[in-house]
Amino acid sequence: MRITPNAAHRGDPAVALATKMRSRASFTPYLFILPYLVFFVLFRLGPSLAGLGISFTNWQAVRPPQYIAFANFSAMGRDPLFSAAFSNTVFFVVITVPALIILSLALALFLNQSRRGRTLGRVAVFMPFVIMSTVVGVLWTWILDKDFGLMNAYLNVFGIQDVPWLVSEGTAMYGVILTTVWWTVGYNMVLFLAGLQDIPTELYEAARIDGARSWGVFRFVTLPMLAPTTFLVLMLTVINSFQVFDQTYVMTGGGPGTSTLTLVQYIYTTSFQFQKFGYGSAIALILFGLLVLVAFFQIRAHRRGIEGVE
Amino acid sequence: MRKLTVSLLLIVLLALFGVASAQDVVTLEFWGGWTGPDGAIMQKLVDQYNAENPGVHVNLTVQQWSPLFDAFIAAASAGTSPDIMAMHPQETAMFINLGLIDPVEDIVAASEVFQKDAYVQKAWDLQFYDGTMYALPFDLGVHGLFYNVDMFEEAGIEAAPTNAEEFLEAARLLTVDANGLHPGDEGFDPANIVRYAINMHTNHHAFYQWYALYNQLGGQLFSEDGMSCAMDLDKAAQAWKWLQDLVYVHYAAPQGQTDYARDFISGRTAMLIDGPWQIPAMIAAEADGLNWATAPYPTIFDQPAVWGSGHDFTFPTYADPEKRDEAIAFIEWLGANSFDWLESGQLPIRNDIIESEEFAELKGRQSFVDMLPNQVLLPNIPKFSEIFASNAPTPMMVMGQRIILENADVATEVENACNLITAILSVP
Repeated sequence: MRITPNAAHRGDPAVALATKMRSRASFTPYLFILPYLVFFVLFRLGPSLAGLGISFTNWQAVRPPQYIAFANFSAMGRDPLFSAAFSNTVFFVVITVPALIILSLALALFLNQSRRGRTLGRVAVFMPFVIMSTVVGVLWTWILDKDFGLMNAYLNVFGIQDVPWLVSEGTAMYGVILTTVWWTVGYNMVLFLAGLQDIPTELYEAARIDGARSWGVFRFVTLPMLAPTTFLVLMLTVINSFQVFDQTYVMTGGGPGTSTLTLVQYIYTTSFQFQKFGYGSAIALILFGLLVLVAFFQIRAHRRGIEGVE
Repeated sequence: MRKLTVSLLLIVLLALFGVASAQDVVTLEFWGGWTGPDGAIMQKLVDQYNAENPGVHVNLTVQQWSPLFDAFIAAASAGTSPDIMAMHPQETAMFINLGLIDPVEDIVAASEVFQKDAYVQKAWDLQFYDGTMYALPFDLGVHGLFYNVDMFEEAGIEAAPTNAEEFLEAARLLTVDANGLHPGDEGFDPANIVRYAINMHTNHHAFYQWYALYNQLGGQLFSEDGMSCAMDLDKAAQAWKWLQDLVYVHYAAPQGQTDYARDFISGRTAMLIDGPWQIPAMIAAEADGLNWATAPYPTIFDQPAVWGSGHDFTFPTYADPEKRDEAIAFIEWLGANSFDWLESGQLPIRNDIIESEEFAELKGRQSFVDMLPNQVLLPNIPKFSEIFASNAPTPMMVMGQRIILENADVATEVENACNLITAILSVP
């Protein structure tokens, strides 16, 4: 209920209190987000805006930056490492995003059914996500070791020859992808589980009464009702996949050759290892633009989808 | 109220005490990249110094070299630095160019420990850049040949190989397939090799070895003005081809190897090219029956040359100048007590240690020390990271991995790398 003070109630102590509360209420929420806001401005927004400026300079961090206009951006066109990092990142996104969504949805559907061991299954799938990325990287470097790794030991049981995984240009990225899927699929699954539980059971009952089979129920009830969750998962997965860094940095260092070099690693390498902060910032800006573009099209597609349903 | 008074009093007392103790004890920040077992040995030395010198507390910070340098640069951009920064001789130019480290000529002029005649000449000379001395030497390291004595005896090899011919013959005898056959034997099965002759690096040590072999051919990397690649492409390719053929033609080394010391200790390979820092691991493996010895890095081509590096100490420009004297005193102490550092496997550079009886008793070191005159270091240039960094897609890493892991065409890779190097160097 909303209390609206009006002329008739003026002088009423209850109304006066309500007015006071309202004016305070407009300030109080900001107080709650203040601690976050301070850190956000100091460590996110500030550096991001600075990065925007730095990308138009030649800056070695210990010397004053020199303004060089768009030179960093035009240099990208001639840089084979940038194009390698760009195409590797896109490849990683194109493979991991569908894999992470289809697999997590399948797992969520499976573990949403009431069956024994359901909780155990959910925990098992989610558990890897709580491990730190560097630990995951080290762990999977061992699992994927060509000569002594667990993965090849299992494959050998099925008569499959040793896969070189991280020590071959042809397979290294798949090793990283496998690691990433194992590591993060649980997070998406939890989001899908929450989405599945929000679907009213009446809809399923109605569909059954109308004679829908399992596929029909999934196609015409579950999937459309899950659309907001799917959209969220898609957004998060795309953004995270574009920013892949920790796994490749720990597992392959971007190699063999340049086969697993990603955009974020290249930003780190150019900025901090090669002291070319201007160039690194310019690449970061390109990545940012790319993410904004992808998000824009996703939101548009999502809106159209909603309109289509309505 | 009383509680408040007591608390306030406590705070004031603590503050006074804190100031007093800060005045009494000088804390020195000391950064180094010894993330292996050598880190524990350095910490032990630091602890000993702290115990013997109550007025000084040395605080050793260890993380891997590359992120350590990133932190060093970031700290310097904020106007601060550790009091002592350890690095490798081939890396000083980067930091000199950025204006982050001070010359040490005045320190050396006043020091009784750091005197030119007390050191192996090579170790001393490496500390100069453009004619000025910027670092104080601590140790050196070079690649050498570890070999399994039992396997050598079993194969009837009397001495460690010293040249290409001996090396290939030893490699053939030491490589064995599941049927006990050697490469070149009728029916030898390369898909079922149970023991390889030698390791083959797939990391940055691959191009370290290449650099040694290229130097054995008398090769040069950069033009005189340092602005472009001046590789002799034929010689560069020839040096790579030797390494590549050990894997793909002679089957003497495993393809896609990841842990070289482990494979040598477990008997998967009979020889190991690596640095003296592996010595402690070899000594530890003796308990499991490893019978090992060392020999100099073989001279495959025209003249002896072996890849090497070392550790040295620098004094950062942005460090607190008030603490410089204490920092120098600590480094002098480390230099004078560097015998204890040998436990890490690194090589001594002080003549008195090299000539001492205690050193002669240490196992496996002499072959490495004998090679010091032939040690070649990667060029100390401002753009070192962009060309040689080991955890980034540098021209050297890409060239090495493509050749050793992918069996790529050596001539093509060498040319690509040379073009990339020129592209990097030509930018002012």
